[in-house]
Amino acid sequence: MTPVYLQRAALHCALGEDLHTAALAMQQGRTAPAGQFQLHEVHEPRSYLYAAQTGESLTQRLNRLIGETLCAQPQALDDCLLIVASTSLDIADLETQTREHHGFQPGDSTSLDLIAKQLRQSWGFAAAFTLNTACTSAANGLLYAARLLNTGQYTRSLVLSFETPSAIAMQGFGALGLTSPSGQYRPFHPERDGLILGEAYCAALLSREPGANPLARLLGGFSACDTSSLTTTREDGSHIHWVMQQALKSAACTADQINLVKLHGTATGANDEAERNGIRLLYGAQMPALSLLKPWLGHTLGACGLSESLLLLGCLQEGPLPGVAYANSAMLPLSAAPQPLAADSLLLANFFGFGGNNASLVMQGCMQGESPCR
Amino acid sequence: MPVIAASEVRGLATTDDKQLKAALGQWLDSPPRRIDRLILQCLLAAAPLKAQVRSHCGLYLASAHPARATMAALLEATCVQHKQPKPFEFVNSVSNAAGFHIAQQLGIDGPNLFIGAGEQVWTHLQALANLDLQDGLIEQALLLVCDEHGDFCVQAVLLEGPTTTAHAANFAELSAGTEVLRINLQGG
Repeated sequence: MTPVYLQRAALHCALGEDLHTAALAMQQGRTAPAGQFQLHEVHEPRSYLYAAQTGESLTQRLNRLIGETLCAQPQALDDCLLIVASTSLDIADLETQTREHHGFQPGDSTSLDLIAKQLRQSWGFAAAFTLNTACTSAANGLLYAARLLNTGQYTRSLVLSFETPSAIAMQGFGALGLTSPSGQYRPFHPERDGLILGEAYCAALLSREPGANPLARLLGGFSACDTSSLTTTREDGSHIHWVMQQALKSAACTADQINLVKLHGTATGANDEAERNGIRLLYGAQMPALSLLKPWLGHTLGACGLSESLLLLGCLQEGPLPGVAYANSAMLPLSAAPQPLAADSLLLANFFGFGGNNASLVMQGCMQGESPCR
Repeated sequence: MPVIAASEVRGLATTDDKQLKAALGQWLDSPPRRIDRLILQCLLAAAPLKAQVRSHCGLYLASAHPARATMAALLEATCVQHKQPKPFEFVNSVSNAAGFHIAQQLGIDGPNLFIGAGEQVWTHLQALANLDLQDGLIEQALLLVCDEHGDFCVQAVLLEGPTTTAHAANFAELSAGTEVLRINLQGG
């Protein structure tokens, strides 16, 4: 794939209301305080990593996010494709409506394309669509946006991704027994007990041109569907292994060239087992540096492909990645010590989701202040 | 684009899920169980094309709405009754559940995308599929659009090979010159 630049980006998440603040917090090892909600019927508490409550509506927040990404005086967007990559979309509004009206009629549902259509009209994007592939939504958004740019159909693309707090998501993952009772988010720990959900809003402007201060280049990627199970991937890691190999091939890279693997790492029993096996199939005993982002952000579901990529890229620009406190017990060779890595490290980033969708992206960060990156 | 097969399923608002399951049973030996209306509708459009689908195929699916009865049940459970949702209903609400079942039933292993069906849905689906066809990741692409506003219509097109020509604006234009297998369901 011809590399595509992430020219500009914005992130609102539990660690902070902008990418720099969030990245600095992670680099300095400052975790976000977790809020709590109750699982219905069993009345057990579960943690949630909320972003700052700003009092904005979703539309207001997304408009602010787009404005931050495009900068103060954006040029006309009639050359720009908008991809809204999200699993939550407007579900929080529908939940509020249901509570207020003590019920929901099927006729009250909104179209899946509503937010994309509204944003296209208000901002003047050339085209827009919503992409929803569960937890690979944003990863697929980035990958396909980049490849569409390479066809010349658009000059730029804005990938907008978000996960709002949702009762359905909170209770649904709870009903599946996938949320952590302990409130400790420990992917790949032998005693891991599930995930912690998180809230995030993020956007990235993609272009074949670097712009003034690009964040990264997207070099390639791949995604495909594992049809062995609706909720997990093959535990032997074979499908994950294949997807990572195809991603590397698309980026004309080899596994040995990768400096850092960003693990999906949900801390669920099956997912971590499968990913560990897949990484071992790819690398054997000699693995590159490994990183986890979900303990910092929570699992931001459809947004994780972009929220985690941005936070990682931002953190690499700030300094060494923080160590993992339980590294010595982990099922993969995570680092207990801070990991000094160059900002322009070559990254392989994994994202897996319900519906069998597995995706891997190959990216390279850009050194701050340098343009274009190599 | 090189269309090798197409199908269209039409039904009424009164066509119930039992009828959809019965119709699906005529095309699939072992249809999945505990699936919702959207998944049934999408499978019914995809299943008749199974004989012509090969494994290196991508799936590009679009729907105007999620499965509304499923969403209503989830909202009712979590926001009104303050209960945990039924696990299978929560999993079915994931937008790419339909894509998973189609891929599993047809034995396809390529990329599997789901988008909201807006005004330019067929253009977007063709653009996405053509990326994977042109890069040689797949040999075929199955495009499918589900639309239910009272009555419903699900349309599917099977492509073989990439194209350099302009994308068709709609199903009629895309399937022109192809014999469309049509399934018309009555009300319950």
